[in-house]
Amino acid sequence: MAKESTTIDVGEPSTVTKSTSHVVVDEKKKKKSFVAAAAGGGYKRGLAIFDFLLRLAAIGITIAASSVMFTAEETLPFFTQFLQFQAGYDDFPTFQFFVIAIAIVAGYLVLSLPFSIVTIVRPLAVAPRLILLISDTVVLTLTTAAAAAAASIVYLAHNGNANTNWLPICQQFGDFCQTTSTAVVAASISVVFFILLIVISAISLKRH
Amino acid sequence: MKNESTIIDVPAESSSAMKGKAPLIGVARDHTTSGSGGYKRGLSIFDFLLRLAAIVAASVAAATMFTSDETLPFFTQFLQFQAGYDDLPTFQFFVIAMSMIAGYLVLSLPFSVVTIVRPLATAPRLLLLVLDTAALAFSTAAASSAAAISYLAHNGNQNTNWLPICQQFGDFCQKTSGSVVSSFVAVVFFAMLVVLSGVALKRH
Repeated sequence: MAKESTTIDVGEPSTVTKSTSHVVVDEKKKKKSFVAAAAGGGYKRGLAIFDFLLRLAAIGITIAASSVMFTAEETLPFFTQFLQFQAGYDDFPTFQFFVIAIAIVAGYLVLSLPFSIVTIVRPLAVAPRLILLISDTVVLTLTTAAAAAAASIVYLAHNGNANTNWLPICQQFGDFCQTTSTAVVAASISVVFFILLIVISAISLKRH
Repeated sequence: MKNESTIIDVPAESSSAMKGKAPLIGVARDHTTSGSGGYKRGLSIFDFLLRLAAIVAASVAAATMFTSDETLPFFTQFLQFQAGYDDLPTFQFFVIAMSMIAGYLVLSLPFSVVTIVRPLATAPRLLLLVLDTAALAFSTAAASSAAAISYLAHNGNQNTNWLPICQQFGDFCQKTSGSVVSSFVAVVFFAMLVVLSGVALKRH
């Protein structure tokens, strides 16, 4: 094994310390990425807290909508042999669907609260937010469907339809109509909340 | 200026196995970036195709409801024997809403193309997600309110003495029901579009 040897001429070391400047750039880059992570975590945590509060508000509203529709009964103080003088939510299949669907949505919201808390505690985690986004989309569709279907029946009860000979029942059942309208309005407000929740999840998922 | 010199011993046999094993740290990072761009581009292409399908579904729904007129071949002095979408305000709302949804989808196609060309840009995707969520809510409202009226036309309501009109107007009922089904297909497409945009926005 013959060893070769060579001579390398090393010039006078220059006064500029090259090695240290390289480290400074590295540290700066490290610091910048660290600061960016903390700042991103900061505003995402704020969004997560807003998300949690929106969920609490939506729970309140959906439970209110479902229970108001459930207890929307009215009995008129007179009767004859032939005509019906009671009105309740179970006289309309659409209102039955409304009560059940909004109750399911309220249950889902309660179950999604832990996921929301996880996003507050770990603002940079992606999986909980993605789960919330997907399930919020499904629930938004269900809520909007229930609210819109009930709204169309309420509209029909208020105005009737001359072409199909459907009489407006609100002229006899004023209280019933008022109560059902309130429930539909509450469900529509919860739809707005769901849209906000989806947009918040999307902004939080955004990469920088 | 003094020149310094030093002597370095280089072994003659440098094993060939050692050569070419220099770690290439910088290249790996590039590969990761183009990889995520790759699958996001695939998601964007799927998004574009879904939009085209949703345009078809929404415009078919609007057109079918718009042309769902029926005139019965007999008449009397007192009763109405024509049925059209404009006899029911909910169906009028349905036609207008579905046309607006189809128009929105056509206008959103350029944004979708932008997300295909630039898979890592987040602003177009976020805009599409917000608008798609609003469009999802709007189309679901139109579809389900028309479905409720359709159900009523098929079955009537004994308690309120609302008679089922489908027993006379069979064709009208069939067309409106088909239109409602098509609009629910558009609703499903919108839900998929929202979820797609959410997944594509995800950071790594």
